[in-house]
Amino acid sequence: MSADALRLCAVTRRYVGGAGLTDVDLTVARGEIHALVGLNGAGKSTLMKLVVGMLRPQSGTVEVLGTDVAHAGPPTWVRVGTLIEYPLAYGHLDGRTNLSLAARLRSIPARDISAMVGGILDELDLRRYADVRSRRMSLGNKQRLGLAAALQHDPDLIVLDEPTNALDPSGIIALREALLRRADNGAGILVSSHHLDEVARIAHRISVLAEGRVVGTLDPDGIDIERSFFALVHAATRNTA
Amino acid sequence: MNTLRAALAVETRKARSSIVLRVAAGLVVVGVCGLATMVILAARSGNQELIAKLGPDAATADWPALLATGVQITAAGGLLGFGVGASWLFGREFAEGTVAALFGLPVGRDRIAEAKLVVYAAWAAGVSILLALGLLITGLATGLGPPDTDALTGLARQLALGLLTALIAVPAGWASSWGRGLLPGIAVTIGILVVAQVSVLGGFASWLPIVAPAFWAMQPSASTALTLLTVPLVPLIFGAATVSIWMRLQLDR
Repeated sequence: MSADALRLCAVTRRYVGGAGLTDVDLTVARGEIHALVGLNGAGKSTLMKLVVGMLRPQSGTVEVLGTDVAHAGPPTWVRVGTLIEYPLAYGHLDGRTNLSLAARLRSIPARDISAMVGGILDELDLRRYADVRSRRMSLGNKQRLGLAAALQHDPDLIVLDEPTNALDPSGIIALREALLRRADNGAGILVSSHHLDEVARIAHRISVLAEGRVVGTLDPDGIDIERSFFALVHAATRNTA
Repeated sequence: MNTLRAALAVETRKARSSIVLRVAAGLVVVGVCGLATMVILAARSGNQELIAKLGPDAATADWPALLATGVQITAAGGLLGFGVGASWLFGREFAEGTVAALFGLPVGRDRIAEAKLVVYAAWAAGVSILLALGLLITGLATGLGPPDTDALTGLARQLALGLLTALIAVPAGWASSWGRGLLPGIAVTIGILVVAQVSVLGGFASWLPIVAPAFWAMQPSASTALTLLTVPLVPLIFGAATVSIWMRLQLDR
């Protein structure tokens, strides 16, 4: 069994017009929180889309829980939880129903779903919104709903794109604790973020993306992480100019 | 793992709460029955000018008149309603952004698309049954008396027309998937509607699968019934193409 929950080897995926990813290597170990940081358009979302098959690489390989993503089937995907771009939140359905449907799509047995949904509603403090249609929820609560759908089945690999978007401070704390708990239990976690301080609080490893390449790493315990980040980004931008 | 069963459970639950599907079904049933009632009442009014406008099929104000009106409206209005339903079932995932959450799941997108087609078929069959029952009730309520054998045959033809019309609206789901939104499906529905109505009015191309149901319903005969054999090609081809789109989908635009 691979020690890595996620492995990208020499992955390239360019869009028409040039943006995208070029020759990216990246791993997420089991029990590790690996953060991706970068400016807008650096390639963070593209990388995450490649992990779940929203995009297919033009070259290189993506392995999810030891299986090439091109050949990953239900036994692999049942152990993955993701929130990329938009949550599984149908406006005409309430929070509890949306979470139940997300669990069905994860092939969770019907008899286990009610307890599982109840658990995540409590963990992310969503109980008040269980019976509220998602179209009536604030952006932040809709985001919490998407995070709940990604985390409720305690996956072995978690991939979250900008998970703190629109969250209030209590939501950020709830998410932080939920991720740390799952990492302690052995899950590999890949998160992207613009919030360097937040990333530094939870990540074991921080990779910096710029112009579609991994251009360096940051020390989560570093003193001036923001300065280090911009130094890496500017150096990479100068080199490609 | 039975992933199709899971997909069916999810799509059925979503459809059960769908206001769009309920409104579309209501508009088809109430619209056709309401217009048929108005035609019967108008034919009985004695207004010769109005009766002349209704034409010889509707002027008799009896079961054949009611059912002839029903099939004419169903061929056009029913197609529009079914097209809206098919467009919404597939296009909503793109319009609402939820398609992004349908990747990286044990239940594949091909299974989700298949489940949507099954749910569409069940919904359309329900609408067709309700429409036939609605016309039966309309006939009784407007005092046409118990339906005779010919009227019962006409009601069966009405039911069959509803089902066949639903089949030729499947390309709307394909268009919504290909175009990644609701409008492409609606546009294709209108395109099918125009081609079918113009062909029926002009009396040509009755062999075209998208035209055959309307031709048969309005001019039932052995030859028009034979053309119905081509109709299943439409859902087979466009259903398979829709599943293929969902299976190979990339969110690269």
